[in-house]
Amino acid sequence: MIKITVDSSGIVLSQSDERINILDQTIQFVQSIEETVYVDVQLKEHESLKLSYVFESNTTCRLVERKTLNTQSVFHKDITVLDGAHIKMFLENLTKQSENVECIENVSIKKDASMSVGYAELEEANYKGEYLYTLDGEGASAKVRMAALSNNDMRKNYKVSIEHCAKYTSGQMDNYGVVKNNGKLYIDGIGTIQRGYSGSSSHQTNKIIVFDEGCIAQANPYLFIDEYDVKASHAAAVGRMDDEHLYYLQSRGLTKHQSMQLITYGYLMPVVEVVEDEDLKQHFEDVLLKAGA
Amino acid sequence: MSKLKIKNLHVNVGDKEILKGIDLEIHSGEIHAIMGPNGNGKSTLLSAIMGHPKYSITEGSITLDDQDVLSMSVDERSRAGIFLGMQYPQEIPGVTNSDFLKSALNARLEKPLSVFQFIKKLDKNIEELQMNENLAHRYLNEGFSGGEKKRNEILQMKLLQPQFALLDEIDSGLDVDALRIVAEAINSMRSDDFSCVMVSHYERLFELVQPTHVHVLIQGKIVTTGGYDLIEKIDQEGYDWLKELGVVLEEEQDQQPIILGSCARKVVE
Repeated sequence: MIKITVDSSGIVLSQSDERINILDQTIQFVQSIEETVYVDVQLKEHESLKLSYVFESNTTCRLVERKTLNTQSVFHKDITVLDGAHIKMFLENLTKQSENVECIENVSIKKDASMSVGYAELEEANYKGEYLYTLDGEGASAKVRMAALSNNDMRKNYKVSIEHCAKYTSGQMDNYGVVKNNGKLYIDGIGTIQRGYSGSSSHQTNKIIVFDEGCIAQANPYLFIDEYDVKASHAAAVGRMDDEHLYYLQSRGLTKHQSMQLITYGYLMPVVEVVEDEDLKQHFEDVLLKAGA
Repeated sequence: MSKLKIKNLHVNVGDKEILKGIDLEIHSGEIHAIMGPNGNGKSTLLSAIMGHPKYSITEGSITLDDQDVLSMSVDERSRAGIFLGMQYPQEIPGVTNSDFLKSALNARLEKPLSVFQFIKKLDKNIEELQMNENLAHRYLNEGFSGGEKKRNEILQMKLLQPQFALLDEIDSGLDVDALRIVAEAINSMRSDDFSCVMVSHYERLFELVQPTHVHVLIQGKIVTTGGYDLIEKIDQEGYDWLKELGVVLEEEQDQQPIILGSCARKVVE
């Protein structure tokens, strides 16, 4: 297993590997890697860290990143996916019981490269995440899915953006949220196609389900389209959990808590489907099963 | 031997009183049929026993042996041995049938079933009910046909092995073969420890699963009780003859006007 740990003192690779270079604050993937690469990021209180991933041309990689951030910490990340590289990533946020945590990701996807990403944002923390994707080369594509849970008075803000800066690019995001026990969840989904970048498509769905009174949920879809020859769509919905669903499950002996957990799992489940990789899928499913338990 | 006892049960939906004093005793080993025209409270009775939040009990009691059913939550009622096979089972996206069934089974076991035990049990029942093998991996009732949903209710009953099964129009949406399979499944559950209350409009189900007791529920009250012969009489004569017993049948409120020039069709609800 390839394991990389990252904290304020630096980047450590579990065993040296010719396919991966570590340079200062950058992890460079120089060749395709068959097996899953695990990256663990740890930040202490008040720390801030900048990390870059570079995926060289024509590489294929799959990566699981698990980050545990702390109160008042800031995590900046740059991801560059060079021409023709195909990257699958599963990003699990394990930040717990922390205040004012921020994570900013800038992802640049070059010509004919693709990135498909699943975010699991299920732990309890006051958290702000900005996940900003730029499609910088013709034929670049990004597929982003997020499962977010805000529970027990937590406040979570997300900005997920895909900006098209080349022709024939495609961006798709699906953000799913569950809010319970006075949680607050704000999701801004932004799709931007600049003038001249014809043949592109920008699609997004934002859906939040609310379990009880006292929760706040906002799903804000934005599309900024400055070109005619494109496809674009957006959908946003915030709704209450269906009481009939709860009744049905309870009538089979599941407690209210168990029923709600199963409904949460079912609701966030579509996020798993973005991960076409069996290992990552299993990992994601396991994480979801524990959500809100 | 167990006893489910319903005493002077009054049930409201909003401000409207639907059940106006139901008395019913069900002992284990018995099969009860409840008949009656639409909109007279049959489904309400079953849902009230299960504890649907829409129905408020204004008077009366339901007890299971010494336990006060009305003070229990829906899931506690289920774990106490009451099961409701619903008329309109819910579709729940993202939750697979097998995850759901496993959770439901484990909810009543001290030690959870192993995956192997569970699959063995599930496969056996799926086969007996002649259901699609993919069923376990499909989302709960999502995209199921009417008949598949009903069979899925019966599958749950067979897995959960309740003491008291309430089956609400379990035969609607079933074709002849499916009805036979479902009837066989109910009959296979019959024992001294099992009892069942069935609501249906059709004699066919009661022919296949012969009830020991038959009740007619009209305007929120049980107006007459008898044996199997009552079903035959209703099947042949409808409910009009009950007027002779002093029962007032509610007049159809919105009769469909028959427009000249078109066929007068029989409206099937």
